[in-house]
Amino acid sequence: MPRSLEDVLHFFLPELETEGAGAPRRSRGSAHPIVGVPIGDCDVVRAAFVWNLAVELSRAGAPATVLAPAAGDTSSLWPDPGRGPMGSELVLTFADGMADLARAAVDLAQTRAAESPAAPGIVFVRLAPAWLPKAADAGALLGRVLLFTSPDSRDLLETYALVKRIVALAPVSTVGVTVHGVRSVREAREAFSRLTAASERHLFRALVSYGLIVDDLHVYRSILNRHAVGLAHPQAAASRSIGEVARLLLGDLVREVPRG
Amino acid sequence: MAELQLLGSLPRAELHERVRGRMAELGGALRIIGEDLLGADAPIDWVAVDAQGQVAVILLGKAGTELELIATGLAQRAWVSARLKDWLQLAPNLGLRAEAKVRLLLIGTAFDGIARQAASALGDTVELWTYRCIRNGAGVDVLLERVCGGKAPNPDGRRSRPPLPATTSAFRSELSDAQLGLGAAERAEFEDG
Repeated sequence: MPRSLEDVLHFFLPELETEGAGAPRRSRGSAHPIVGVPIGDCDVVRAAFVWNLAVELSRAGAPATVLAPAAGDTSSLWPDPGRGPMGSELVLTFADGMADLARAAVDLAQTRAAESPAAPGIVFVRLAPAWLPKAADAGALLGRVLLFTSPDSRDLLETYALVKRIVALAPVSTVGVTVHGVRSVREAREAFSRLTAASERHLFRALVSYGLIVDDLHVYRSILNRHAVGLAHPQAAASRSIGEVARLLLGDLVREVPRG
Repeated sequence: MAELQLLGSLPRAELHERVRGRMAELGGALRIIGEDLLGADAPIDWVAVDAQGQVAVILLGKAGTELELIATGLAQRAWVSARLKDWLQLAPNLGLRAEAKVRLLLIGTAFDGIARQAASALGDTVELWTYRCIRNGAGVDVLLERVCGGKAPNPDGRRSRPPLPATTSAFRSELSDAQLGLGAAERAEFEDG
């Protein structure tokens, strides 16, 4: 009779190597890179960007999975969990803190890597900002963090505060920033420069630019209709800019993460 | 004086345009924020917001389908209500009051007793309006008339505005100003001007 979840877990996990009875179920050395993204409980905008990025990455050949805590009302943030367009996926976890979430993320990253060892892939993890102060044992989630900000001063201030928290918890973290809601490259560049200059001055940390997402009605329609903007309106300016963010992110991750 | 002539109806697109031009008569100084928006499996003719931030769903019905229009209106109102908080985030400048009950304005050619009783039972936020198309010389006009529902405006023509709810955080992360943990020098980096 099963005594714990571990006794029955293999029924729910994909079968991998079968080299012998004693063989490990999967290689612990191989895992898809994890990208943490702070998203508030009602922040449909950032959630939509992450979901759209996941679809774009999947379309580019790097199946992307979004892992999010199931606590609270997730229906306003995400589409239905499970497989999505182009091989993207949304997985909800019952983690109720950063340590649990980190374990779930690492497990998922290893499982997905084992499923497709030859292909790159990414696991985005939604980080609840309220959990960040208790993230001391969640280093796996903070190694690479992606932040979205608009050029609005209040948004930049909030984003800077998140950078400060992340750097305090994970001093070697790579913090990337995508500027959204902009009408020109210049506007995005100025916003990013302002943010990274402040970060360098006060936190002694430079930020990595992950492009921009233009202010486009298609983005908002996509959020409301729960459709990936890149699939519904592939020629829209927003689709192209989200695709570019995906390519920048993928380029960095593929260069940095050795495939095991 | 040109002779007035009552018309049966107008082509849908023209009727839509004419009613749109008469939106001010529906009360509340409505400002259209969405048109032909795909709602609950069908388009919503207009989504508007009044001067007080109350959102209105406005549907233009076809003759003979008034009871269906009421049912469709309720479904569309529920669809819009469920999304108001999201819209508020996407477009805070619209001044929506997400907590206010959404007005439902149904515009048809005629509403019989059953339709009126049904609408009345749903409360003041469901309003029935009729339209009549009138040829006035070379031009065509549409007259709108309230059948039931809605509250009479205040004598000065404005609705009283309930107090706005206290804002817990201006940030999408839902962190408060204090929780940001920033010093004056850091804050100064992001001050405008």
